[in-house]
Amino acid sequence: MPKPPVHEDVNPKQRQYEAMVRALSADLYRFAWWLTRSESVAQDLVQETFLRAWKNLDALRDAESTKSWLFTILRREHARLYERKRLEVVELDDNIAEDAAFASPERSSDAAQVRDAIGRLPDKYREPLAMQVLAGMSADEIAASTGQKPGAVMTQLFRARQQLKRLLGGRAAAEGSRT
Amino acid sequence: MNCLDFRRRVGAEPRSRDPELLAHRDSCRDGCAAFWQRAQRFEDDLEAGMAIPVPDGLADRILLAQATGERRTQIGRRRAWMAMAASVLIAFAGVGMLWRYTDQHSLEAMAVAHMPGEMDALALTRPMTDDDVAAGFIGRATQLKGPAPAMVTYVHDCVVGQYPVVHAVTRMDDEPVVALYMPGKMDGKPGTFHRDGWDGREVQLRGGTLLLLAQGPSHKAMDTAERGWRAAIDGSNLTVSL
Repeated sequence: MPKPPVHEDVNPKQRQYEAMVRALSADLYRFAWWLTRSESVAQDLVQETFLRAWKNLDALRDAESTKSWLFTILRREHARLYERKRLEVVELDDNIAEDAAFASPERSSDAAQVRDAIGRLPDKYREPLAMQVLAGMSADEIAASTGQKPGAVMTQLFRARQQLKRLLGGRAAAEGSRT
Repeated sequence: MNCLDFRRRVGAEPRSRDPELLAHRDSCRDGCAAFWQRAQRFEDDLEAGMAIPVPDGLADRILLAQATGERRTQIGRRRAWMAMAASVLIAFAGVGMLWRYTDQHSLEAMAVAHMPGEMDALALTRPMTDDDVAAGFIGRATQLKGPAPAMVTYVHDCVVGQYPVVHAVTRMDDEPVVALYMPGKMDGKPGTFHRDGWDGREVQLRGGTLLLLAQGPSHKAMDTAERGWRAAIDGSNLTVSL
């Protein structure tokens, strides 16, 4: 008689956790990387986030909100880490002119340049942008997670994109004919 | 929704599927559809830029860390339970040993343990004189204050446990009753007991403790022996204690 597969013995909580890790660890790592810009710290953060999630898995009622729940945990873990280590963070000038707020966004095929530009965004713009792009969180969800008003988050998301377009502006002008 | 609202909204949430937003895109003749298209392409680039490479085996390492932590927790929990169970076991064993020690060192246990070497004394039938009985007690520095009980067939000084005693036997209706008198022992616990085939009675007298032992005796024999020894040692013919 054939032996039943091992996974049948795994309890549902463990199965749920494993599925969660396999499905979401990559996006969570990317978010952590964009918060810390360090591969090792990002990995530690993701690990810590999932361990905390395991301990509190029973508190997760809605499976659909798993991703935003994990992103919120990771964000808190990062804040804790930041408090502990007092990492040196250099803020870029946030007062870039907004006169071209409705200029056409330009296409950039060079991911490295886009990455560099994202890296130069101030934290307060990069963080909600990463939550939106990587986790697919709505402005309301980001607001709930970061303790801000949805309107303020909308403004941050808008300005984040405008700054990116400006930072990519030189190349964007050259590609203008494509748009 | 006007064009300004539309472009503000797309600038912040380009992937929104809000029907109002999409309706404006489809109906606007001022270039909002093109604006939306460019926003989507920009978003594609943004997503590609953000998708930095993920280290190999990340998910496996996370699962391993969780499994290891969980195992440690389980081992810790199991150890705590085992420690608790061991503590309870040790406590029970300790209490059991203490109870056993206390029981084995009780007066009744020591008295019964003394008897196997004195069984011959139970078979004696010839009554002793009052003087012989009194002399036996003097050996333990005890002066009888009253007449010795009738039919005392044996008197000897012995040691029971750590107590020096006068060991005597009385016989009534062919029932021998052993009397162990411990002069100076004032912390006796009056009462009766049954142990290893012996019926016993502990009596507190004025100058010491009297312990009566017999095998299957009648109440009458025990009462008579108690009354007789109480009268002889304390000098008063009081009623029996039990």
